[in-house]
Amino acid sequence: MSGHRFLRRAWFPARRAWLVLALLALVQATAAAATVELLSGASFECTVLSKDDKNVTVEVIMSGMKVKRVIPLSSVYRVTINDKQYVINPRSPVPEKKRSAAKRTPPTTSAGPTDDKGALRTRTAIEAWIKEQGRTPPDWFEATPLNYPPSLDLSWPEKPEGGWNNQKNVGQYIWDIVNPNPSKWREGVKLMHHLLTLHQDDRAQRTRIMVELGRMYYNLHEDHARAAFWWQQAGVDKTHSPPGCSIHLAECYWRLGNKQMAVDHLRKMRSVPYDAIKLWADMGEPQQALALVESIAKNPRGQHHLAYLLGGDACRVAGRYDEAIEYYQKVLAVPSQDPGKGQIDRCHQRARASLEAIRLFELTDVASIADGDYRAESLGYEGPVEVEVAVRSGRIESVHVTRHKEKQFYSAMNDTPAKILAKQGVKGVDATSSATITSEAIINATAKALASAAEK
Amino acid sequence: MRLDIFLPFLKKPKRGSEPAPDPLPLRLAKRVLPRALFADRATGKPGLARKWLKWIGPSWQSAPVRRICQAACLGLFLWLFFYVCYPYSARPAPVSTAWQPTAIDGESQITLSGGDLSDGSWAAGKTVYAARKAGPQTAELGRVTIVRQQGGTLIVRPAESFPSEVIEELQFDLGGAWTLSERPAGAWPSHYADNLAGKEWLHAESLLIIDPLVAISTAIASRTWVWSLVSAAGILLVAILVPRGFCGYICPLGTLIDLFDWSIGKRIVRFRVADDGWWVHIKYYLLAGTLLCSLAGVLVSGFVAAIPVITRGMLFLFDPLQVAWARGWHNVPPVGPGQWISLALFFAVLGLGLMKPRFWCKYVCPSGAVFSLGNLLRVSERKVEDTCIHCNKCVEICPFDAIKPDFTTRVTDCTLCQTCGGVCPTQAIKFVDRWNTTLLKIENDPPTHETPLGRRGFLSLAAGSAAAMIGTGGVVGAVKLFGADLSEGSTSLPVRPPGSLPEREFLTACIRCGECFKACPNSVLQPLGFEQGLEGLWTPAVNADHAGCESSCNACGQVCPTGAIRALPLEEKKVARMGLAIVNPQTCLPLAGREACQLCVDECVAAGYRAIEFTRVGTEVDELGLPVEGSGFLAPVVQADKCVGCGLCQTRCFAINVAERGVLAESAIVIEAGPGKEDRLLRGSYIALREQEALERKEAAPKSGSYLPDFLD
Repeated sequence: MSGHRFLRRAWFPARRAWLVLALLALVQATAAAATVELLSGASFECTVLSKDDKNVTVEVIMSGMKVKRVIPLSSVYRVTINDKQYVINPRSPVPEKKRSAAKRTPPTTSAGPTDDKGALRTRTAIEAWIKEQGRTPPDWFEATPLNYPPSLDLSWPEKPEGGWNNQKNVGQYIWDIVNPNPSKWREGVKLMHHLLTLHQDDRAQRTRIMVELGRMYYNLHEDHARAAFWWQQAGVDKTHSPPGCSIHLAECYWRLGNKQMAVDHLRKMRSVPYDAIKLWADMGEPQQALALVESIAKNPRGQHHLAYLLGGDACRVAGRYDEAIEYYQKVLAVPSQDPGKGQIDRCHQRARASLEAIRLFELTDVASIADGDYRAESLGYEGPVEVEVAVRSGRIESVHVTRHKEKQFYSAMNDTPAKILAKQGVKGVDATSSATITSEAIINATAKALASAAEK
Repeated sequence: MRLDIFLPFLKKPKRGSEPAPDPLPLRLAKRVLPRALFADRATGKPGLARKWLKWIGPSWQSAPVRRICQAACLGLFLWLFFYVCYPYSARPAPVSTAWQPTAIDGESQITLSGGDLSDGSWAAGKTVYAARKAGPQTAELGRVTIVRQQGGTLIVRPAESFPSEVIEELQFDLGGAWTLSERPAGAWPSHYADNLAGKEWLHAESLLIIDPLVAISTAIASRTWVWSLVSAAGILLVAILVPRGFCGYICPLGTLIDLFDWSIGKRIVRFRVADDGWWVHIKYYLLAGTLLCSLAGVLVSGFVAAIPVITRGMLFLFDPLQVAWARGWHNVPPVGPGQWISLALFFAVLGLGLMKPRFWCKYVCPSGAVFSLGNLLRVSERKVEDTCIHCNKCVEICPFDAIKPDFTTRVTDCTLCQTCGGVCPTQAIKFVDRWNTTLLKIENDPPTHETPLGRRGFLSLAAGSAAAMIGTGGVVGAVKLFGADLSEGSTSLPVRPPGSLPEREFLTACIRCGECFKACPNSVLQPLGFEQGLEGLWTPAVNADHAGCESSCNACGQVCPTGAIRALPLEEKKVARMGLAIVNPQTCLPLAGREACQLCVDECVAAGYRAIEFTRVGTEVDELGLPVEGSGFLAPVVQADKCVGCGLCQTRCFAINVAERGVLAESAIVIEAGPGKEDRLLRGSYIALREQEALERKEAAPKSGSYLPDFLD
C-alpha cells in the first residue's frame, strides 16, 4: 500500500519532495469536496468521513481505488470545504503559547460570531480572504438586473439642488426606497457598482461610492468580507473616516474570525463613536462597553440619553437585567428638549420598549406569583386576543384563549398554550408557523398577564 | 328486463313446489347475522328485517332498495358538501425549530437537541427536510431520516441525497440550529389544496354535474363546451334504462322533500290541492323558459335546477351554523338580500309539499322535466298485467302520482321506484322492457277521463307555452335592463375568484350553485346581491374586508361544476391576478402623515407574494442636508407585476385600522378589478403570461455595469 506510506511520510517535513510530488500525481481529481493541507506543505483532495478529538478519517481515490486514511489532527494545517477554511494548526511560525491555544477545535456553539463560525483565522488569512472575496462578485450579482428609476440623476452631486426627491437623487433614493425594501437590496448594490464604473476617474466621487458600497454589504447583506474590502479600498482602515464605518470595519474583522484585529483597530481610533459601545458588548466585553458609557456620561457635551440606552442594551445582552433597568431609567430621566428633541424622544421610546420587554419576558418568575387566574390581552390578526392564565402553587396550570376574533388560526389556539405550559413560561416559546401573529399575541398576552400578577 | 329473470333469488317460490336452496350471499349472511333477522322459510313467517322495514313505512317495505339508494345519495350529498368542501381541516405542514446539532458520529448520524416536538409527528423512520439559517435567509441543507428520539434529543441520518460536503463541513463546524419540516424550506404552502385533493376521492361537485339541466343550460348560454355535459349525457343514458330514476333514487332534493313531507307535510292538510289541475305541466314550461333564456345568453336555470337549489339551501342555512360552531360566529359573513332570497326560494320548494307530497318534483322541477322528456326514449317501463284486481293500493302509495285511475302508468312521471310492485297483492305489476306486452290489463278501466291531447290539453299547452315565452322575454329583458355594468371605466366591478372566465363568459357560465362559497376558507367568496343587477345575483365575489384569498388554496375552481372558475393547479392559481391592490393616498396612515403602519406590507410578505414595498415619506433633513435617522414614515407601494389581488392586505387594514381601532372609515388599501388590474383567461396558462411579461421587462431594462472598476483590475 504505497499510498498509505506516502501519507505517513508526508506528515513529517518533506524529506523527499520528489516522491511526494510523484505520488500526489496519483491522487486523481475526483468529486471530493474537501482539500486537506498538511503542516508539511502537502495537500490533497479527499472526502472527510468522520472526525474526533484526535484524528480525521478521510477517503482518497488513488489509482481509481477508494482508500480510507486516518490522519492525526496535529499534522493538519487546514481543511477547505465548500470555500470555507477550517484552520486546525496555524502554519506560520508563531510563538509556542499562541500555537497551542489555536490548536483546539474551534468552538461549536453559538458563542462565537455568526458567520464563518468556527473558522478562527489568522490576520493574514483574513486579509487574504477579504481580498479574494472582495475581488469576486457575489453569486447573485450576474442575475440581478440593473434597475433604477429613469429620473435618477446618476452624476450624484454632493449637494443636490431642490428639495428632497427620492426619484432624482441617488442618496435619497437609497435612503427612501432601497434601504427599507429587502427585495431592492441586491439591485441597490448593482446600481452602486454601476455608479463606480461611471465615476471611476473621479477620485473623491469613487471613494464616496466605495464607502456606500461597504455600507450596503455590511448593513443589507451582512457580507462582512466584501464590506471590509470596499471600506479598505476607500481608505477607511487608515483614515477612520467616516467613524461609523470604521467601527463597523472593526466588527467585520471580529465577525470574520479575529477578535484581536477588531480590538487593535478600535484602539487605533482617536475619537470613538457611540457605535463602539454596542460592538464591545456584542464581542462579550461588557466592561469595556460600560467604561465607554461612563466616560461619555462624564462629558457634559455628550449625548447622555444615547450612551445610557446603549449601556442598557449592553447589560441586557450580558444578561445583567437589573443594571440594564437602571440604565434605561437613566435614559428616561434625560429631559426631552432641544437641541435633538426628536432623537431624545426616540431614545425614550426605545428605553420604554426595552424596559417593558425585560419586565415581561426576562424577570417574570412563575414560582413567585400568587395563586389566581390572570387575564390580559394583546393585539392579534383581527383584534385583541385575550387569555386567562391560571397559576397554582407557583406553576402555570392552564392557559386559555377566552376571547378572539381571529379567522386564520389553525392550531395556534391550542398549540401555543400547550407550549407555554410545557416551558412553564413564555421565554423560548416559538410562534406556531403559519399563524405567527395569533400565536405571538397569545404569548404576549400571557406575558402581560404574568407580569401584572407579579406586580401585585 | 325482468329483474327476477337475471336474479332468480328474487323470485318467490310457487306454492307447493320444493323451495330452491338459498343463494350463496344469503347463506353467508345467515351464518354471520342473527337468525331472528331472517324469515322462516318453512312457516313463511317474516323475519325481524322485514318487520322493521314494515314498521318504518310501507314504501320501505315495498321498495327497500330504492329507499336505501335515496338515503345513501342524500348522505353522499351531505358528506360531499359538509365534509369534503369543509376547508378548515387543513393544517400547514408541521415545522420544528431550534434543533442544535451537538454531535456527529462515525456513521454520519447527527444528534440534534433542544428542539420543539409539539407540532406534528416526528416518529422514527420519517424523512424530513432540514434547513439552517445562513445569513439573513434560511438555506436548505437536505433530507434526513429520523433514527430515534431520546428524551429531548433527536438522532437523524442524512438521506442519500444529502450533500456530502455538508456532512464533511459538520465534522469541523456543527453550525447553527436546524429547522425540520415536511416540506422544503421556502416552498409555497399548499395545505388547503392538498387537503381538498386528499378528501376528494369523489369530486365534491359530483351531484351538481349530473343534474342535466346545469350542464345543458350552461353550455347553451355560454356557447362553449362544458365538460359536465359528459356526466349529464351519462345520467341521461342511465335514465333510458331507469326512466326518471334520478328523481326516484338519486336526487338529494327529492329525498329531502320526502323527509319534509313525512315529518311536516303530512300533518298540515289545509293547503292540499286537487289531484289534477293547471299546474301539472309547469315543469315543462319552466324548462322551456330557462333554456330559451340560455339561448338568449342569460343563465337563470341555476335558480330552479334541483341540485343548485338544495346546495344553496344547505349553504345559506347550515353552513353558517357549521362554521359558527367550529370556528366562532365572527367567521360567519354578513347576510345580504341575496341570501334571504335564496333561503325563501328553498323554503318555498319545501313548502310546496304542503299542497301535495313531492309537488315540486312532480310538477315544477325543470331538471325532472329533462328526465321526463328523456323518458320518451325509455327501454324499460312499468307494466300492469290482467291479474290486477283494482284494489287501488298502487295508486295510493305511488309517491310520484304516476299511476292513472285505470292503474296504468303515466310514463313521463314514473321513476321506476317499484314501490307499487311491492304493495300489489296479486303481483300484477311488473317492471319489464318496453316491448313486453303480453297479458296486458285493459286500458281505461275504470275510465281515466284523460284525453291524450284534447281541446283542453291543446289550450293549456298554448297558454303554458305563451307564459314560458313571455316569462323568458321578461327575464331576459329585466336582466339586460338591470344587468351587470361591464362598460369601460365601471367602478363597481366585483373582484371574481382566481381563474374566473372573462366577465361576460363568467356570467353565462356561473350556475350560482354556491359550492365555491362552501369550499372557500374564511369565506373570502361571498354571494353578490343586486350590486351587479339581476345578472350578478348569487355569483361569487371577493369580500376582502372580511378575509383574503389563502395562498395555499385553489378550492373554488376545483369544486366549480361548470368551469366558470377554471380548475387551476395551485402553481397557476398563485400567479393568476384576480385584482390589484390600490393604496388610497388620502387615507393610508403613513402616506397621510398620521402614523407608522405596515400591516399590509407584513401581510404580503408573510403570504409570500412580496408585492408591496416600502417608500419612505416625509423624510426630514438636518442642516447638512443629511436625512435624520428615524424621521418620516415607511409607506406602502404596490408592485403591479407581483400583486395577484388576494386581498390579504385589505383584510388586515380593515380588521385593525377600521374595525378594531376605528382610525379609518374604510380600508386604505383596496382590491380593484377591471381591465389592466386582473387577468381573465378563457384558456391558456397564467404562468406563461407572467413569463412573457417578465421577459419584456428584462428586455426593456438598462444594461448592467461590471463588478470591479478598471482601477482595481
